[in-house]
Amino acid sequence: MSELLADDPEWADVVPIRQYEDVNPIAPIFYSEEYKDATDYFRGVLKTGEMSPRVLRLTERIIRMNPAHYTAWQHRYKTVIALKIPLEQELELMNEIATTFLKTYQVWHHRRLLLTALNSIDAAARELEFLKTVLRADAKNYHTWSFRQWILAHFNKEGRLWAGERAYIEDLLEQDVRNNSAWHHRFFVVFASGVRLGDEDRDQVLRRELSFAKEKIALAPNNSSAWNYLRGTLEHTNTPFSALAVFVEPYTTSQPPSRGTDDVVDLDNPPPSAGAQLPATPALEFMADIYEQEGGNATGKAVEIWKSLANEKDVMRKKYWEYRIRNALSNA
Amino acid sequence: MVSQLDPTPTDGYGTSTSSLQRETEDIITRHIPTQGTAHAELQKKLHFEFLLRNLRQGFPERYTSQDASQPWLIYWTLHGFSILGVGLDDQTKKRTIETLLAMQHPDGGFAGGPGQAAHLLPTYAAVCSLAVVGRPGDGGGWDAIDRKKMYDFFMSLKQRDGSFLVSHHGEVDVRGIYCLLSVATLLNLLTPDLLAGVPEFLATCQTYEGGFCNASFPGWAFEADDPEAPSDSPRTYDPSAPRPPLGEAHGGYTFCATASWVLLQPYIKLYPSAAGDSGSSSTPAINTRALLRWCVQMQGLPIELGGFKGRTNKLVDGCYSWWVGGCVVLAETLLGVAGTHESVPEEHHEENDEDGQKAWDDADDSLFNRKALQEYILCAGQHPAGGLRDKPPKPADAYHTLYCTAGLSAAQHRVIPSEARAKAVISAWNASQAHAKDGTAYAPSSDAERERLDELRKRIFAHAMSWSEEEGTAVYVGGAANRVNATHPLFNLTVTHSDGILSYFYGQTPPSRYANKPATK
Repeated sequence: MSELLADDPEWADVVPIRQYEDVNPIAPIFYSEEYKDATDYFRGVLKTGEMSPRVLRLTERIIRMNPAHYTAWQHRYKTVIALKIPLEQELELMNEIATTFLKTYQVWHHRRLLLTALNSIDAAARELEFLKTVLRADAKNYHTWSFRQWILAHFNKEGRLWAGERAYIEDLLEQDVRNNSAWHHRFFVVFASGVRLGDEDRDQVLRRELSFAKEKIALAPNNSSAWNYLRGTLEHTNTPFSALAVFVEPYTTSQPPSRGTDDVVDLDNPPPSAGAQLPATPALEFMADIYEQEGGNATGKAVEIWKSLANEKDVMRKKYWEYRIRNALSNA
Repeated sequence: MVSQLDPTPTDGYGTSTSSLQRETEDIITRHIPTQGTAHAELQKKLHFEFLLRNLRQGFPERYTSQDASQPWLIYWTLHGFSILGVGLDDQTKKRTIETLLAMQHPDGGFAGGPGQAAHLLPTYAAVCSLAVVGRPGDGGGWDAIDRKKMYDFFMSLKQRDGSFLVSHHGEVDVRGIYCLLSVATLLNLLTPDLLAGVPEFLATCQTYEGGFCNASFPGWAFEADDPEAPSDSPRTYDPSAPRPPLGEAHGGYTFCATASWVLLQPYIKLYPSAAGDSGSSSTPAINTRALLRWCVQMQGLPIELGGFKGRTNKLVDGCYSWWVGGCVVLAETLLGVAGTHESVPEEHHEENDEDGQKAWDDADDSLFNRKALQEYILCAGQHPAGGLRDKPPKPADAYHTLYCTAGLSAAQHRVIPSEARAKAVISAWNASQAHAKDGTAYAPSSDAERERLDELRKRIFAHAMSWSEEEGTAVYVGGAANRVNATHPLFNLTVTHSDGILSYFYGQTPPSRYANKPATK
């Protein structure tokens, strides 16, 4: 195959269509000759509606130069279906493109269409494994995570698909406890998607998740991801924040409590790590929320915390903390 | 006392997130001017030249990645000019209109380029670009928008859960919903059929963090989530089934979902019974307090110059100045914090003292740090050779140039809904004109339904037209020479451009924003 389709006898029967026929476009892009050539022929193909093996090659050629060309993807998908190309083969072919262009929407959407059409739990399970390799390269890739969640929900096979997810998340948080995508995935698996096999006892699940979050907060008390998960867990289960007052309190003081002198280790309330930088802003915010929920005389304590956040500990959000004060006082 | 430029605490427990964060803080710190930010200058001329080069000479080859986003390249450039206060000559307008119309799809909507498939995102960018350069009449572009076909295109993308595909065979994504709702609002294409289920869908996209994700999973609550399933099949809905968010809270999606939510307020109030086809009468709701909290938590520390992040534990990026910084006022509006006020004429500029810092604290009800955000954009967001960027040392590009300048605008100007303005618009409302200009050929089932739709149109129009700058609240870091134009918080157009296209497509002649203003000074 020569460099340009225009020089290739195989394409001699297709009439290429220039992008702008009668218009002198504003803000044009300076395409390479190869890209211009390929998209001219692609417009020609779209006009006749051709779906053929050479159209598969052409769309791949365009996608490699511009993976965001959604029309090329769309026509490729239609062609794959029309030619009854084995879908597993197409998925396989797209693995390398997916890993090369993993920040592109279309790459992942194409796989989703293929998996939907394949409708195979085995393929879905293999895809989850493939996504692990992708997330190894980019642990916070948005589309990959959202696609992983879709696979779990769409195929929804408890033992084959969902069973390994919590362990996988724990591995990822072991590597980087600040990976917010992994925290979100945990919420998706544990709370947002119904009840997993073995998770029927919701009180036990709540205890487990609170312990998990507390343990991770103890490691790195200024990690917002873990605090947001803790808050989400409480709100989702309608648990008052005050249930955690004993745990949170040591994180709100500037001196970490003395460790090791006491024989009694309170497993429910792990203390801040030795390296903790205290007070932790998220802990102060949390404590103020406890006081606000309590209301009455406690409102004053919340106001004190918000004032210290506004004027000293978190001055970037001064306006917000002052709003919280106004809001609490007007509701008091 | 926390010192001014303390790094993000790592608690002696470093991970890849914290080391990347630390590297970024080191780079940004080096961009803090030693003499302070009081004299930081917006390099308007360099940015103007950057935009002009792209528009006139075109985009270099690396922009091939944007070949399916050509209306966006145009929109980012044109609206960038508008924010910088630059007008365009008639010849440039004419060429731009012709270029945009070459991307209108024969079956409705706009495509990423000529010959490509229609798609919701370029449809928004093309219509907003036409709001900037177009006008009614021959060659003006506005009458060449095939609104009937565009509406049919929208309806062909509608899913059973209330969402929309971004294109045929495409994905569901709240960016698409925002683009559709913005365009349908601007072009008078809103109908109860189009909007059914949209609020419920959006509400399911809010995550436990308070921000929004890109889509939720419909399959358990609706019969299927097959994107190719016919949209006209009846919605069977199991309200007890979960509709989990796919993906974590994210700045871009949060803006799109929130702006959509604000645009839908008149619909949610007028059509409460539309919620849930199977008799569930609960009005869809979002957690607005959690939304506000999430937005303000995205603002970086002083060591990050108060730029915004797009997700928890990710890095600041200039584009989130708009997507998240610009979202704060929308959250305030939903909370009722943004009160009524007298609008300020555009010509009226604040009197600043020499430092341009007069009355920061008393004038300003915003719940994010407007001054810090301006500092990030001025000190870290500007590329020395022109154009704006994610963060140093990255190159400038068309996308970041717009969303940094729009974010700067949102930090300088507080634009909120004005009840007085809404009343003035409603007092001049012409219902029969608005009805006659409806672009959809939608036929209400009864006279009562027709009246309800007329009322919806009126409220949507009045709300969209009511956003105005709050008097006496503009703030300019680096002095008034850095002033850029205000931009509409919902559409990201200047109010001059949004007023113009709205008035035309609703057949209204609202009273001038600046007439009858009592002389106060």
